[in-house]
Amino acid sequence: MRLLTAAVALTLVVTSAGVAGETVSITLPPESIALDAGRGMDQTQTSCRMCHSLDYITTQPGGGTAQWQGVVTKMMKVYGAPISDQDAKLIEEYLATHYGPR
Amino acid sequence: MRDRVDEVSRRRFLLTAGVAAATVYGCRLSFAADVDPLLAGRQLVRYPEKTDLILLTARPPQLETPLSYFDRAITPNDAFFVRYHIFPIPTSVDLDQWRLEVKGHVDKPLSLSMDDLKRFPPASVTAVVQCSGNSRGRFAPRVLGGQWGDGAMGNAVWTGARLQDVLKAAGARASALDVTFDGLDKPAFPSVPDFVKALDLQRIMSDPDVIVAYEMNGQRLPMLNGFPARLVVPGWYATYWVKNLSEITVLTDRFEKFWMKPGYRIPDTPCGCVEPGTAPKNTVPITRMTVRSFIASPASGTRVAVNQPVALKGIAFDGGYGIREVQVSDNLGLTWSRATLGPDHGRYSFREWSATWRPTGAGNARLMVRAVNGIGESQGYEPLWNPAGYLRNVIEQIALVVD
Repeated sequence: MRLLTAAVALTLVVTSAGVAGETVSITLPPESIALDAGRGMDQTQTSCRMCHSLDYITTQPGGGTAQWQGVVTKMMKVYGAPISDQDAKLIEEYLATHYGPR
Repeated sequence: MRDRVDEVSRRRFLLTAGVAAATVYGCRLSFAADVDPLLAGRQLVRYPEKTDLILLTARPPQLETPLSYFDRAITPNDAFFVRYHIFPIPTSVDLDQWRLEVKGHVDKPLSLSMDDLKRFPPASVTAVVQCSGNSRGRFAPRVLGGQWGDGAMGNAVWTGARLQDVLKAAGARASALDVTFDGLDKPAFPSVPDFVKALDLQRIMSDPDVIVAYEMNGQRLPMLNGFPARLVVPGWYATYWVKNLSEITVLTDRFEKFWMKPGYRIPDTPCGCVEPGTAPKNTVPITRMTVRSFIASPASGTRVAVNQPVALKGIAFDGGYGIREVQVSDNLGLTWSRATLGPDHGRYSFREWSATWRPTGAGNARLMVRAVNGIGESQGYEPLWNPAGYLRNVIEQIALVVD
């Protein structure tokens, strides 16, 4: 398994107030998942990455068109993802083709 | 330690496991060398303030604790699982700026600094926090959602202010119904529901173990586990344990926004389950955790020597009645023997257990573990199913190869 690392920056500003004055900062590692190449990949990547990393796709159980239609519809109707109907269809086809039943 | 219902269920389990009844009563079953297909492709990653954890998703981050950490009662902070729902999450918090607002149906709204919070009498509780969907990836038929293995759980000593003390200080009015909790994580779009959870006011006021924790195992919280403060709701699933807490709002009505409804609900049936593949008629919010137990050591797939004792170790827990007994079986549940329980850290904690197993013949062996809690609830041979992939508590097992 590959090991990703990330820096953690901890800044301690000492004040008389004890716990007051502490700032904790972290830097999240970059996203590293890439989707399979194919028709609709660009639209899928652009739309889905507005809210979440692509491992939200790749770790799901593979599903047919009905499953992925359900997912894309939920993203649009429930979470309000701004995806055009035309792109939605392309994305559903892409996902069913590349992340279909395994 | 056998009863009729148990035996019927066990036989069904044996059949569905594809094991012919005539061949089971040895330890010579035939099955493939142990590889967990769910976690096989997952990366180990190292996030800030964290050791190597199993990556489920990067944004929002969801990181899983490897099973090897569950050979002990307390889960180290750096190995503790991470689960966020929305993004952006807080990556920098300045305690000079941070405040916990307590508002709504109260006589005296508060804006508490960390120093203010620490002026309340400190309370500590050792408690398991487990994602509602822990082990979701093992559901059959599969369900959508975070495909966790078994590591979306952990146990820590939480220290903080009692929530009831905070609400009393704010003068929460007795006519209030729900109290909501919001953290510093915010949605990417206004249309995405903010992650806000609710608890019943009476439930809070009658439970001194619900705390606003600022310490975890004697340290400040890691950022990804909720720095500077998170809600601790012992016995209940992690969905209520709001992280990076910033707002507590007392309401005069019931709160039923997205993450309470339709989110995080289970079938309104005694088992919280339905026939696999079907939809429930009615649902209720998920609350108390079911009984679970795990064998953490040796790891599944380990080779052991015939006639040499093997030390088995793991943990058991439930939703707050405490673990009464842990049992192990090396013959697919025909007989069970009692494990030795470790120190009792309280009814909400992981309970360590250990047992010694001596393999009598070479071949493949399967070891099972189950726990019984303080009110007699236990675990089944067959997994329960619901469409959201919650409440999993089937009897767990490991495979060992005896040479």
